[in-house]
Amino acid sequence: MTILSIGALQVDRAGIPVIRGVDLEAKGGEISVLLGSNGAGKTTFLESLSGIIPARAGFITLDGTALVKLRPGARAKAGLSHVEQGRTVFPAMTTEENLKVALHPDADLKEAYDLFPELLQRRTVEAGMLSGGEQQMVVIARSIVNRPRVILIDEMSSGLAPVIVSRLMRAVRQLADDGMAVVLVEQFAALALAIGNRAYVLRRGQIVYDGDCAALARDPGHLHRLYLGDAAA
Amino acid sequence: MDSLFTAAVAGLSAGGAYAILGVCAIFTYRLVAVVNFTGAAIGAAGTFAMVALFELGVPLLPAVLLGIAAGAAAGIAIGLVMTTWFAGSSASTKAAVTAALLVGIIAVGLRLTGGQHPHYFPEIIPGSAFRLAGVEVTWAAVTTLALSIAFTLLTEQFLARTRTGLQLRALSQRPMAAELIGIRVRLLALGVWAVTGGVTAFALMIIAPLRSPDFSSLSLLVVPALAAALIGAFSSFRAALIGGLMIGLLEGSVSAIGAVSQYRGAVPFLVILAVLLWSQRGARWDEAR
Repeated sequence: MTILSIGALQVDRAGIPVIRGVDLEAKGGEISVLLGSNGAGKTTFLESLSGIIPARAGFITLDGTALVKLRPGARAKAGLSHVEQGRTVFPAMTTEENLKVALHPDADLKEAYDLFPELLQRRTVEAGMLSGGEQQMVVIARSIVNRPRVILIDEMSSGLAPVIVSRLMRAVRQLADDGMAVVLVEQFAALALAIGNRAYVLRRGQIVYDGDCAALARDPGHLHRLYLGDAAA
Repeated sequence: MDSLFTAAVAGLSAGGAYAILGVCAIFTYRLVAVVNFTGAAIGAAGTFAMVALFELGVPLLPAVLLGIAAGAAAGIAIGLVMTTWFAGSSASTKAAVTAALLVGIIAVGLRLTGGQHPHYFPEIIPGSAFRLAGVEVTWAAVTTLALSIAFTLLTEQFLARTRTGLQLRALSQRPMAAELIGIRVRLLALGVWAVTGGVTAFALMIIAPLRSPDFSSLSLLVVPALAAALIGAFSSFRAALIGGLMIGLLEGSVSAIGAVSQYRGAVPFLVILAVLLWSQRGARWDEAR
């Protein structure tokens, strides 16, 4: 079932069109993998979905509710969660405080610790003192404590060891299996395609591929051509 | 020696007020990332609102409460300016904006309050509390001291133990990440401005009868406030508390020394200079080597 629908989305940065008419659907239980080279507009696209950057035109709906005019906080309350680039923990707060600060009064941290049990023994440690992988776990766990409908994840593997990246990828797959719609932006295309369902490739602000992850994973040459466009010819 | 002690104790009221203003300055800096030059001017607005109401015949207590509310409202007004147009600006830009606002507020405040026209500032906490080594300690001094300690400790506990305090700490560390997890960052920021406005107004009401009774003088109490905050490195509430009290006691002491008593207003400036030089000592040492 489609949870997040995006249609004809256009986003500018400093007056320059960055996203130019993007359509995308994210379904519950699925991971939508968004790929593209540096500067293709992936991060801008996610930031426009969560409201950090306003959209110039187009629509974004979550379970039929229009999000375009809402502020980021209201979109979060509507069920959209965004894991930003760069491991955005609150560094001077403990692991547990990082999780609690997002928590609704009637929710608990069980699901967060179920997803990453390794955080239990680090719960009293200031998040700024955690390893990079642990910080990313805290940010992902914090983003799901209120059971969002959709989670947007931007470059979570950046700067992390392969073993940690695999651990995070498994956790993301688990979130989708639990029913969430996941939109995953990732530089490591092979890893993302291995856990994803539907793939989108963004080039210069436009979708140039919309199809099955497995099919794209089987044809790296095609993916290479999609990234580079005319330059690959 | 006795006169020095008497003068130092007389500086206790001002020291308590400086401590409160210093803690408020850190509160604003830590939670909404603004070095706020308008802090005392916001308090002055509340204080003069109280005086105006009192002069119109409003009884003292309601006038004080309405003055505190006016201080909170003035704080919210400044907060609206900062959150609407300068939320994403750098710390230096925000500081420059509040310095510009301070000039504007003083100009408007002087116009509305009649410039140097004297006003009667009622003593909202009158009388002598007790004698200390032969020196009268007023209720105003005791109250500002108690208020500064209580405000410091309550602020620490509030930030450490309450859900809203946790959200404020998150807001101060990563505003966008806080907003993305559903924290109402603008509401919280305006709450910070309102609380500091109301508290500053009350602190100034207590010490206003001891100061030059004009809007400009009260607004410039931002200098000792920032000196106290600087002693706390814009981070430690307790160090700012102690710093504010020390500045008050030092000012009082200086006023008893004939040769320099006319320059007691320079004490906060000298404290700022000393703290800045001390904080740069490592760099100077490295350069010298």
